[in-house]
Amino acid sequence: MNILLCCAAGMSTSLLVTKMEKAASDEGLSCKIWAVPGDAVKNHINEADVLLVGPQVRYLLPQLKKLGEEKGIPVDVINTVHYGMCNGAEVLKFAKQLSGK
Amino acid sequence: MSRLNDILENKVMPAAGRVAGQRHLQALRDGIILTMPLIIVGSLFLILGFLPIPGYEDFMARTFGDAWLTKLMYPVGATFDIMALIAAFGIAYRLAEKYNVDALTAGAISVAAFLLATPYQVPFTPEGAKEAIMVGGAIPSALMGSKGLFVAMLIAMISTEIYRFIIQKNIIIRMPDGVPPAVAKSFVALIPGFVVIALIWVLRLIVENTSFESLHNIVGEVLGKPLGVLGGSLIGTLVAVFLIQLLWSCGLHGASIVGGVMGPIWLSSMDENRLAFQADQAVPNIFTQQFIDIFIYVGGSGATLALVLAMILRARSQQMKQLGRLAIGPGFFNINEPITFGMPIVMNPLMIVPFVLTPLVMVVTTYIGMTTGLVAKPAGIAVPWTMPPIIGGYLATGGKLSGAVLQLVNFALAFGIYYPFFRMWDKQKYSEEQGAIEITTAKKLQA
Repeated sequence: MNILLCCAAGMSTSLLVTKMEKAASDEGLSCKIWAVPGDAVKNHINEADVLLVGPQVRYLLPQLKKLGEEKGIPVDVINTVHYGMCNGAEVLKFAKQLSGK
Repeated sequence: MSRLNDILENKVMPAAGRVAGQRHLQALRDGIILTMPLIIVGSLFLILGFLPIPGYEDFMARTFGDAWLTKLMYPVGATFDIMALIAAFGIAYRLAEKYNVDALTAGAISVAAFLLATPYQVPFTPEGAKEAIMVGGAIPSALMGSKGLFVAMLIAMISTEIYRFIIQKNIIIRMPDGVPPAVAKSFVALIPGFVVIALIWVLRLIVENTSFESLHNIVGEVLGKPLGVLGGSLIGTLVAVFLIQLLWSCGLHGASIVGGVMGPIWLSSMDENRLAFQADQAVPNIFTQQFIDIFIYVGGSGATLALVLAMILRARSQQMKQLGRLAIGPGFFNINEPITFGMPIVMNPLMIVPFVLTPLVMVVTTYIGMTTGLVAKPAGIAVPWTMPPIIGGYLATGGKLSGAVLQLVNFALAFGIYYPFFRMWDKQKYSEEQGAIEITTAKKLQA
């Protein structure tokens, strides 16, 4: 599964990426997980199965949701507490739920 | 306290969402970001030119000849001094993207329009003459840099609006069937391109007959000066910082939203400082991008590194201890989302108080430190916001220890303000944890 994350500069979400990768390998899942700045999403979304948005840029959600609908990719905002505590396992679970896999 | 949350949720958040989602502001911010890698590279050369090591200048002059500094500043001229040109392209490109029209073409038209607004002449003082004469046939590099930034912003917006309007109304030159699509595509830009160029041309002709003489002068008077006052004043900066903190308190990226408006202002005052620093003159501006990024937001928006330290040193609750360990690494690089969302500060009235108060106090103390001359002003070196404290302050002031010391003082100040609030929150978490443990042990005993 390919999980794309986005926030303002792609930096703080990249923290979460490493935690999610770890959670994925613990579960024995093979995932590609990566983080990009909000304005770079459209260059990456084609490779993604699901797009997760950092809560600090949830104002981008309407725009990104529209983009996701065009490509048939589910888009949603990450739970703030899971985001803050870098809870990789929970966010991974959320991504799986969203993509329906 | 829940009234505060109510206001944040129902008033501030929707308004912020609208501002942040506004496509012109987004394009402005995303377009100007294009200049950042360039000026950071330029800053590297700038620092090398003015290393505060005794005997450095002599050593360089002996090794590389007397003109070493001029030569070392070549890359500075090619990065800082084309800021407006790059912005003219970047903003138009990003705006066109949002309208789903060809971004590359929009960028090219915008650059041409920006150059059209710029008189190709530079002042030159011949030897022996007292007054400078204007020499034609040269693109004035001063107007390609921060001085031309506001013109570039305006022209990028106007030209892209015209471009997309004409394309979307489908007023294009149609080619007969059989013409290769790539060729046909190159004709699409002709009509909008002509309209944009003709419009700026007419504007320029009109302005040349007024006392302003050039579009750059008008924009400087009408837009640059008032904005400079806004961004250059203590009140203006306090308002901007307050808004950033308020937005973050709702969990929105305040720096990114407010940066759309304040970014260009802080960028041009940064570059004014750079020019003065390079010419070995007194640095004029206090409030630049680095003032905010480096001296106020030590550890991220809200100066939360002090709060992280409090967690590591004094936390009693498991949750705060764990969060402190998680947040210290990113905190050194001024990334604090683990704190804002994990503690959380977002929508947490108790923590919002110091979160808003701390940076405001620090703006005032830093301002006092810099106006009295106790601390060096930011030298116009584009230190990236991720630069760890102490190093950041040292570099941003052009290698002055006072810059690093100021960061430490601000850090201590932030610690003092956050600490009592942190204790209250930690105590609450601790008793929650104890309560939870008591309940589980009680359950075990019953079972």
